[in-house]
Amino acid sequence: MMPISAFRIFFQTGAWAVLAFLVLPLLIVIPVSLTDTSFIGLPRDGLSLQHYENYLTDREWLSATWTSIWIGVVVASLATALGTAFSIGCWFLSNRASQIARWILIVPILVPPVVQALGFYRFWVQLGLIDTYAGVILAHTLLALPYVSISVFAALANLDRNIIRAARGLGASVWQTTLAVVTPAARPGMMTGFVFAFIVSFDEIVSVLFITVRGVTTLPKMIWEGIQENIDPTIAAVATLLVLLTLIATAIGALRRS
Amino acid sequence: MTHQMTEPILSIRNAVKRYGSLHALDHVDLDVAAGEFLTLLGPSGSGKTTLLSAIAGFVDLDDGRITLHASDITKAPPERREFGMVFQGYALFPTMTVRDNVAFPLKVRKRAASEIADRTKECLDLVQMGGFADRMPHQLSGGQQQRVALARAMSFKPQVLLLDEPLSALDKKLRADLQWELKSLHSQLGVTFIYVTHDQEEALSMSDRIVILKDGCIQQQGAPGDLYNRPRTTFVADFLGKSNFIDADITGRHSDILHCVAKGAAFDVQTDNVDEIGNKARLALRPERLRINKPGVELLAAKVSQVSYLGERCQVIVKHEGLGDLLVSCATWQTGIKPAPGLEVSIGWDQNACVVLAAD
Ligand SMILES: Nc1ncnc2c1ncn2[C@@H]1O[C@H](COP(=O)(O)OP(=O)(O)OP(=O)(O)O)[C@@H](O)[C@H]1O
Ligand SMILES: [Mg+2]
Repeated sequence: MMPISAFRIFFQTGAWAVLAFLVLPLLIVIPVSLTDTSFIGLPRDGLSLQHYENYLTDREWLSATWTSIWIGVVVASLATALGTAFSIGCWFLSNRASQIARWILIVPILVPPVVQALGFYRFWVQLGLIDTYAGVILAHTLLALPYVSISVFAALANLDRNIIRAARGLGASVWQTTLAVVTPAARPGMMTGFVFAFIVSFDEIVSVLFITVRGVTTLPKMIWEGIQENIDPTIAAVATLLVLLTLIATAIGALRRS
Repeated sequence: MTHQMTEPILSIRNAVKRYGSLHALDHVDLDVAAGEFLTLLGPSGSGKTTLLSAIAGFVDLDDGRITLHASDITKAPPERREFGMVFQGYALFPTMTVRDNVAFPLKVRKRAASEIADRTKECLDLVQMGGFADRMPHQLSGGQQQRVALARAMSFKPQVLLLDEPLSALDKKLRADLQWELKSLHSQLGVTFIYVTHDQEEALSMSDRIVILKDGCIQQQGAPGDLYNRPRTTFVADFLGKSNFIDADITGRHSDILHCVAKGAAFDVQTDNVDEIGNKARLALRPERLRINKPGVELLAAKVSQVSYLGERCQVIVKHEGLGDLLVSCATWQTGIKPAPGLEVSIGWDQNACVVLAAD
């Protein structure tokens, strides 16, 4: 028994250490957000909610938040629609060309974000999309597409190909088959893809910095500028709220699954 | 045979399908009569699924025509052909309940809701799945899924049902039960069945007519009894049941009786074949048409070399000096002797037991 439990202690300690390594840097924002000072640092004389109040009343912070949310939803919807159509199309064909197309669509994940952002910048200048919502939405949709198509592919991987034949033999057109039979089977993948796409857009900063100036400000951009210009602890308050929100969403997800 | 009198519901003329250099279908001609139970039988890779898929519209023929009620459907898309199809893997829609699966063909045809509900219930009751309407396909056993697939295929009242090895994934007992059900469903509905199988027993027990395929060609077709008793080629004689093959010389003919000799054994065969005297002939002799007896009683002397006991019958391999090994299958309660390896016996057969085969 002894060696086994020593083994267990070793690995459990290791696991907790890794978890702490991942989580502690995140948690440091919580005390910082409650600081009573007007610069970033740990609380000095007591705790204060003044930076939360500042966040929730400041027009610029709220508008940046709202911008990120609605851009995220639009991007997630667009990416889910396009990515699902792409994946279902490839699944229907399932030939050599569709295999290659799948790989090409996944390439953006492999390209360094800065390179991609530079690419967007050069191209968006020509298209006149610099500093527009459309430009940001388009760039984020392109970044989110691979995630949607990967999760939809995963959902369709185990679907019996004969069901297309079955549906058509029973009188359904290609279109009816896609809507009534294939899309419902892809739905779990579409939902995962939607969430992923939203997160990709909501988090994205590099491209936004390259392709926007003053016209569009998203939450990550606001935080970034906040760090650079004035070291305002409101950033910590925002970060804390985001961490809490993520925790709540994850908890709800886990509870619903069990 | 009875069905061949009527006008065919479905005709296939000169169907050709090539995959590269492989002929999956090699000039196939086939007529299907209304109400017939037609079975496509053949070994793996013989083109059964390809032929069925061509009928259903999932495979484009390289050459040839398919007509339904005398109208050309060769180029029609599958959804216009109005065939019900049952797939080997069932292919139920995984995200729909059993009820919605069966209702699907009616919904795409935009039938009235009340009609859909009635017809769906009727079909599910017909396959004894009425109590499972609200289940999802993955909550059903293989046999139950098969029944649902059948109900779905017939809910829109197609005139022809296409079935691709519908029972092959089921165990033996369940398969036998479903064979009876399918057969009675066929006579109840009066629908034409085109049934694919590689199981010869299934083909013999269910079909009005069997079409034997090999390498994309039709080898022979006919009623089960005709095919079994009058195979034309070695392939058919061997594939449909077992046969002993004997290469003999033709020595004479009396009206429709052909006299042949092989390795000292004489065979009289009834045939309308007009082979020349002096030619070779290949004969097929079914194991169950051979009699086994005490030495001296029957024509040929032989020696038992192997016995396998199968319950209601017994398979015996006997060795004859000239002819070599012969397979004899006899009802255990009928033999006067108890065959055991090494036992001296005699074997015989009736005059009409032998069949002359065409050279392959
Ligand atoms: N899509 C395809 N591409 C290339 N070859 C094919 C294709 N489909 C079938 N074939 C070939 O055509 C031949 C006939 O195939 P088919 O599926 O009709 O056989 P089958 O009689 O149904 O066999 P089984 O009893 O194994 O189902 C086979 O040799 C097969 O390899
Ligand atoms: Mg097949």
